[in-house]
Amino acid sequence: MKTITQYLLRFALTIIVLTIIFRYFLSYGIENHSTIIIILSAVIYFLSMFVSGWYFGKKDGEYLPIFDVGFRFHLTTYLIHNAISLLWIGLGLGSKYEKLSLSIMIAIYWGIFIIVHFIFYLWARKNSIDNLDKEDLFE
Amino acid sequence: MKNDKKLNELLISWENTYKKGQLTLWIFMALQESKKYVDEIKGFIEKKSNGTISCEEQSLYRALRKYEHIDVLTYDLKEGNKGPDRKYYYLTNLGQELFNQFANRNIKLFYSTEIKNILKL
Repeated sequence: MKTITQYLLRFALTIIVLTIIFRYFLSYGIENHSTIIIILSAVIYFLSMFVSGWYFGKKDGEYLPIFDVGFRFHLTTYLIHNAISLLWIGLGLGSKYEKLSLSIMIAIYWGIFIIVHFIFYLWARKNSIDNLDKEDLFE
Repeated sequence: MKNDKKLNELLISWENTYKKGQLTLWIFMALQESKKYVDEIKGFIEKKSNGTISCEEQSLYRALRKYEHIDVLTYDLKEGNKGPDRKYYYLTNLGQELFNQFANRNIKLFYSTEIKNILKL
């Protein structure tokens, strides 16, 4: 598929690593009742995810300006974060205080935002040809 | 003297606006002539436009990727002198038709006697 670019794949690989590291420290913090580890891991995870998205998104736009209002990167983040979280807890790698139901609820609520974002993406597609912005196609 | 400076500034301003959108036409003209790889396209544009169209390599690559993405051009891989294979770009049927129709609607009108007379060519 043409919209799966090399920078999207690099982003996916990066956030797989970041999410696994985050899950490890989050579970460790919860298991040991360490608020500092929990907060630090969440803040560092958020910042590193933001920087990764910004960096690879910028590179991706320079390579091929796909007009998707950020949907591909959002969907990738959603799939990877939730798949790793569900597997992490489902396989028993999480803390004993972590419940699978909470991760499922996060996936569902986040999924609602994904659907809203998808609607915006479909709307943006009206102004594009093969996912490239009509206004920006010919220089 | 003051008018010369103003005229020059106006000309540059108009030309800058006019040149936006020209790169596509020049790329298509280059490929209409023959299959070319990036350096040849760049050379064609700079030579045939008498240097009036500056062609940054990065802009050219970006434009080619976009046109390849929308299927108006494609490429054959051929061995280069050294290094990796070269991409020799050419217009697809869709690209050829797009170019023909664009030229008919926007370029040919400049060749009517009436317009030529106005332009004093």
